[in-house]
Amino acid sequence: MKTAEETRDMLLSELAKCRACRFCLDTCPTYQASAGLETLSSCGRLQTLRYLLMGMLRLDDSLAYILYSCLDCKRCEIMCKSKGQGLEITSLIQMGRALLSDRLLKGEEG
Amino acid sequence: MKGSRRLIAQALDTLKGNMERTGDPMGFKNDYWTAWAEGMGLARNGDAVLMTSRMYQMLPYVMKMTEMISKAKPIQEIEGMGKILSMGHRIAGEALIRWKAKGDTEITERGVRALRGAVSGLKAVGVTPGYLFEEDHYSGALLYDLGLSRYAQHQLTKAYETFKKSGAKEVIVTDPHTLLMLREVAPQLVGDSGIPARHYLELLAERKDRLKPVAPALRRKYVMHDPCMMARSLGIVDQVRGVGASLGITVIEPENTKQNTMCCGGPIEYAFPELSRGVSGLRIRELAKISTDILVACPVCLMNLYRYEKEMGLRVRDMGEVLYEAANGETPA
Repeated sequence: MKTAEETRDMLLSELAKCRACRFCLDTCPTYQASAGLETLSSCGRLQTLRYLLMGMLRLDDSLAYILYSCLDCKRCEIMCKSKGQGLEITSLIQMGRALLSDRLLKGEEG
Repeated sequence: MKGSRRLIAQALDTLKGNMERTGDPMGFKNDYWTAWAEGMGLARNGDAVLMTSRMYQMLPYVMKMTEMISKAKPIQEIEGMGKILSMGHRIAGEALIRWKAKGDTEITERGVRALRGAVSGLKAVGVTPGYLFEEDHYSGALLYDLGLSRYAQHQLTKAYETFKKSGAKEVIVTDPHTLLMLREVAPQLVGDSGIPARHYLELLAERKDRLKPVAPALRRKYVMHDPCMMARSLGIVDQVRGVGASLGITVIEPENTKQNTMCCGGPIEYAFPELSRGVSGLRIRELAKISTDILVACPVCLMNLYRYEKEMGLRVRDMGEVLYEAANGETPA
């Protein structure tokens, strides 16, 4: 398994590939169920994770809600692929959770 | 969402604690998960062994636990939510949830019928799988989803050690979450085991001509709800329809179907029941527009859509339950 530092670097490099084109928004069930809250969409989650890993955001209640409410349904990935990007969005979120879950279990702040 | 950070931390801690203590996410001892197989005549080993991963057996307990969390609404506003969840940690393997879940005989029986139906279907096509009983381990799917990869790795290692010890050459699973763990996650976390895994519907589809159809009175017209993982991650789409046709039922398609299927909301039910209910509400209304009989092929989808049966006058059936009807000719309650 990769170290946390290696995972973080790899994730940041993958997350930078998201062009935030937002075509995936409407495919996301939590985006639909929240009447269009962008942070509860696939794209919103990737951007949130990116800024978290860059240290520009803190893992507070809102961010925990955003990142742990992804259904892992992969509907967004079909759209991402059809638009020529093909990011493995849910895997990136899962890897992000792996980093964050460790911090949460250790009771670390931020 | 106030309290979400603490809620997730507590959920992670609960899962971790339960797994370490009992090897089970709910913290229960092994004997609760094997009762469904009584009288099925399953051997303890075989070339092909069945892995239920306890998914259908967990339905009443998961439903009761999420119901208890939902009742504590508004969850984020409760001072001491951590206390409630850590109470869950202590009681998970103990009397309260078990006692409360006992009252849920309907969903318990539905889960049992789905598993027994799957085995009946396999037997009908000439496959009698072995069953590892108390060594039918949980796959660690939820642990992996939540980022607890090393615990998922531990579970998978344990599962494959058991398969190898039993001499199994193939594993037949009964739900898509477990299949994804064995087929895609296990090679990354524990390496190539050399023991392939298949969903029982893949196997039935290959021999579907040998399936016994359901009685004419039970040949309903079902709208299909493809489970996300089954359709998008595993590509098991036509197989389900092929098996349905051989059973004599009619499968019709909703607006979002096959690879474009919509989620049932199940994966986040454990922590965010309100958002989960928003997602399942969208899906159930879409399905109900097409038919009042809904067909699923996943315990998580069954649990999340089953909740609407009484409220909306629907009938949600798992493919295993339809196979059970084919074998037993009984109409479930």
